[in-house]
Amino acid sequence: MTGGFDRASRRPAPISEYGLLGDTRTAALVAGDGGIDWLCVPRFDGEPLFGRLVGGPEAGTFRVGPARPGTVVDRRYRQHTATLETTWAVGGGRLTLTEGMVAEVSGRLLPTTLLVRRLSAEHAAVEAVVEFDPRLGALHRRPRIHHRRQALVCAWGSVAISLASAPELAIETGRSTSITVRPGSPITLVLAFAHREPLIHVDPAAAWDLLVEDENRWRDWSTEIDESLPFREAVVRSLLTMRLLTYSPSQAPVAAPTTSLPEDPGGIRNWDYRYVWPRDASIGVSAFLGVGKAREAHGFLAWLLHASRLQRPRLPALLTLHGRNVPAERDLPGWPGYLASVPVRIGNGAAGQHQLDGYGWVVDAAWAFAQAGQRLYSETWRAVRGFADVVAGRWQEPDAGIWEVREPTQHVHSKLMGWLALDRALRIADTHPLPDRQRRRWQEARDAIAAEVRTRGFDPEAGCYVRGYGTQDLDAALLVLPLLDLDDIESPRVRGTIDAVRDRLSAGGPLLYRYPPGRDGFPGGEGAFLPCSFWLVQALARTGRHREAVELFQTLLDHASPLGLYAEEMDPATGAHLGNYPQTLTHAALVQAALAIRDAPTSGPVSA
Amino acid sequence: MDWAGWGLFGLVATAALTAALITAQLAGLTRLDFPLVLGTLVTEDPDRARIVGFVIHLCAGQGFALGYAATFAVLHRATWWIGALLGLLHVGIALTVLLPLLPGVHPRMASQRAGLTSTAVLEPPGLFAVNYGVQTPAVAVVVHVIYGIVLGLLLRAD
Repeated sequence: MTGGFDRASRRPAPISEYGLLGDTRTAALVAGDGGIDWLCVPRFDGEPLFGRLVGGPEAGTFRVGPARPGTVVDRRYRQHTATLETTWAVGGGRLTLTEGMVAEVSGRLLPTTLLVRRLSAEHAAVEAVVEFDPRLGALHRRPRIHHRRQALVCAWGSVAISLASAPELAIETGRSTSITVRPGSPITLVLAFAHREPLIHVDPAAAWDLLVEDENRWRDWSTEIDESLPFREAVVRSLLTMRLLTYSPSQAPVAAPTTSLPEDPGGIRNWDYRYVWPRDASIGVSAFLGVGKAREAHGFLAWLLHASRLQRPRLPALLTLHGRNVPAERDLPGWPGYLASVPVRIGNGAAGQHQLDGYGWVVDAAWAFAQAGQRLYSETWRAVRGFADVVAGRWQEPDAGIWEVREPTQHVHSKLMGWLALDRALRIADTHPLPDRQRRRWQEARDAIAAEVRTRGFDPEAGCYVRGYGTQDLDAALLVLPLLDLDDIESPRVRGTIDAVRDRLSAGGPLLYRYPPGRDGFPGGEGAFLPCSFWLVQALARTGRHREAVELFQTLLDHASPLGLYAEEMDPATGAHLGNYPQTLTHAALVQAALAIRDAPTSGPVSA
Repeated sequence: MDWAGWGLFGLVATAALTAALITAQLAGLTRLDFPLVLGTLVTEDPDRARIVGFVIHLCAGQGFALGYAATFAVLHRATWWIGALLGLLHVGIALTVLLPLLPGVHPRMASQRAGLTSTAVLEPPGLFAVNYGVQTPAVAVVVHVIYGIVLGLLLRAD
């Protein structure tokens, strides 16, 4: 039975309520009521097919769930897989939605995107609904509808999807289809997608088997992760999330699958994160290497070198999944935004910035790769040399820094990362060919950076490094200090900086602001920046404060979404996740923090 | 047919194409790298791959030159502009057929369907090879037209 559904009646779910479904090419966000409110096709950075999350009721959704409001009694990923299970208590029965996207489709006649959703009931029959309302792109275009081979086909020129079900349901777009799910008789829905190729119809039963096969692959993938990791379950979920957000055709790690989830609800801090930051890829290299996944680390490094080739030796701040220039930032008119946070933006204006710190992350990733016993090809070494040359030539210039402020300034963190780039390049040069003149140039630049940062970037009264020259503000990115070897890790400068950041940038509990709130030229405030808290864990562990690190890490795990996911930021007052979600950088920082705890000496000095 | 010319000038034309392509790479116009793409059919090491790939590329260029020589013989004319036209046809087939099909046979090239277990790290070219930079189709056209012009100028029709 079908009927109209009230698009406007569903309230936006809290960001942390969303679960991530993915196939390593694109991803969907599914709310606790079974509504997929975000899915771009054919890639992470493609057009939204279901865009309700930030596009409002007219932007489309695909909800499968109880007909009447039910209580979620259990919601979890099946262990070490990407399959999500949501169970509602409805009347005397229980309704379970099991769903996932098939990642492994190569070598077989399968669509590139295959979403499988199965409803099953326990104890009693449960009334459920299917609300299927696909709308493509910025203009929420409605499809042309056909029925073929017992499937509902929606087409928009070169894009088409088919929705099949078993048993067959009379689903209509934009309408609510009521169904009764009986114990022992599950209902399976399969959404297949095609772009510039014919639709490939997959029988629902076969699609379910494919999803089960995929689960086994994810379990095998998880088995390879270092068994000795502390907090292993949380780390595995983070690694799975990072892998789900890695675009397999190019191995590019997308920063987040969403655009314009607000850092300040109701404000303008809404950015498009469906691109790739070399910084994230570099951190990912170290994270995957640290847990024993060299293949993924190799993929990230290969993408970095391939994608940056056109602009080398300049390192772009961000790139598309295929290494092209990121589109210019523009607003989507008429999109109401998440919690009325407008504008909703696509493209990203940070693409043209000079960010000195990026070179440090990338060269450090190459160093970590070599340190792990992996071979650096001579092409890789040529690229690293080019990056080091840029740093040696440009380190004195102001830059946008890691936080991408739109007014360049002299950021101490950027200088530190410039120092890191040169230092690690020199270390690699111990085993790779480098002309003496180039070596001397790098050494001179590295020493000059160190001298300048120690004088102009250090506040002797406060006993800590500061955010920029001529300011006493702090920057939580300075927590990388113990990783650099610029100062001895037991030096008062390092400890003083860690303690000052922890004290003066505290947002309460384990949370930190990345810099004093509001000091970035944008109106409105923002939340605590979650990667910084994990960097604090890492800094504490590296400086021998093992117990503090473990306690802080445990507290941070308590702030994860119910499914173990993290956004970029968190509202310190309410604990609400803010910003694009889930965020690769946060999950990579979590993994690195766990690695630091694993590798830290447990007998070091314990702070008061 | 000009067999002797084919034997020598096929290599010359392929070398000219490769030189023009490397120039475009160095100028930051494209990431298309035929020696790398072909060489990684054999080895994973990009440095060795470029050497092996260059040899494969020379052989492939020689094979294509055979088609040019045969066409000139059929037309009883060999001019720079007929060579250029054949170059356009050649690049059209390369961009719309050969490169997009490559992920299907290349062991180290990912396809748009690559998933969790994919170990391929070489990015697929995509339609018109635009994944290697938006100016790649233009670069490919120019270098293949150069290839055709060189053959048109140097080969004899009979």
